[in-house]
Amino acid sequence: MRIRHICSGSRFIALVALFFLFIPFSKSFAGTKTPSDQNPSVIITPDKQFNYAENLFSHHDYLTAIMEYKRFIHFFPEDKRVERAMYQTGMSYYLGGDFNRAVDSFQKLIDEYVDTDDAIQSYFKISDAYMKLNAFDPAIINLNNLILVAHDGHVRDEAYYRLGWIYLETASWEEGRQYFSKISVKNKDKYRLETLSAELEKEKLIPKKNPKLAGFLSVIPGAGYLYCERYQDALIAFLINGALIYAAYESFDGGNPALGGLLTFVEVGFYAGNIYGAVTSAHKYNRKKTGLFLERLKDNVKINLSADVKNQGVCLSFKLGF
Amino acid sequence: MKIRLGFIIGCAILNVCWSGACARQEMNLTDHPKGLDVAAEKQESPLLYPFKFYGDYISSVDGDRCSMYPTCSQYCMEAIQKQGPLTGWIMCSDRMMRCGRDETKLSAPVWINGEKRNYDPVSNNDFWRQ
Repeated sequence: MRIRHICSGSRFIALVALFFLFIPFSKSFAGTKTPSDQNPSVIITPDKQFNYAENLFSHHDYLTAIMEYKRFIHFFPEDKRVERAMYQTGMSYYLGGDFNRAVDSFQKLIDEYVDTDDAIQSYFKISDAYMKLNAFDPAIINLNNLILVAHDGHVRDEAYYRLGWIYLETASWEEGRQYFSKISVKNKDKYRLETLSAELEKEKLIPKKNPKLAGFLSVIPGAGYLYCERYQDALIAFLINGALIYAAYESFDGGNPALGGLLTFVEVGFYAGNIYGAVTSAHKYNRKKTGLFLERLKDNVKINLSADVKNQGVCLSFKLGF
Repeated sequence: MKIRLGFIIGCAILNVCWSGACARQEMNLTDHPKGLDVAAEKQESPLLYPFKFYGDYISSVDGDRCSMYPTCSQYCMEAIQKQGPLTGWIMCSDRMMRCGRDETKLSAPVWINGEKRNYDPVSNNDFWRQ
């Protein structure tokens, strides 16, 4: 009786042991997998997140890179690379061509980090973004603000150099020269100011047409175009205006004032158009010649600046002027 | 002779006055608050009707032969919408005299439907007035 009791007791223990032994298998056999079993959890560290964003940025996938930099800033706000992530967000907008958002992004960085390297580069990039938007005044104001807050002389010199170039872009040669002259002596060689001022002197040699003279000459139809070196336009303007004036005169002379009035109506437009076109042609001529001069100046004298995208890396270049 | 000359000058003055009045009317349309802008845009100037007629019924049959982009009729409509009837009409006349000649050597080329055109928008001809 006692033996049977012991046997049943050991059988009971063995059953309990077996029960616990099969518990882990029972879950998988029953097909009741938890989500964590199906998708093994990946722990994203700040390094992984930042490197992923950087990888997207380096592969020019700027739209996704922006999302990932923002995710990094949101989940790891205490990380020391948050400032860099904010700068890279601005750069992603800038390189993606969304210059307005780039300005907002860089401005946000400046508001949080006042005098850091990235904040200073942000000032420069804001001015670049404004230039891309053809908004010269905000670009100038932004760089003047930087000059006020910057403690480093090199930064102020770069701001002066950039301001000088912005004025040159608008063909304001004197203002450009003034800003170049504010660059400190120690940086004059770095910015090749001697060569720049020598090249700038050639600005006086840019061929120009006087728009007022072009308009005045157009009193004789086509003469204004002729002055602006548009020979075919000049001939056509002369022939059309001459023909219409003659036709209007003949209509009135032949007792047909209605036709004469209509022709006069049309002729007034063509005559005014001939004057307007000559004035515009003179402006276009000046714009083109100034643009060519500036392009040549940039190619020969302008140096790569600290915030330039091209300036990331080491290269050896050789240029032969001729 | 004096009467004829007077008539010509009279026609010219009337023309300018009429265009000026139209310009003011167009300016008033654009002065509306933002909410009414859409309605104002829909209300086209009658001056654009000839260009629309030309585009819809003549150019579509005659063929697209303008060597510029935008085409002269499109340019005229844009000029009138942007600068008002007087300046728009003058710019339009100027464009018709320039179309396909020296401008083809001076303006940037663009390819529209596989054809080379010369890019000469309104902004390229009124930039000095802004």
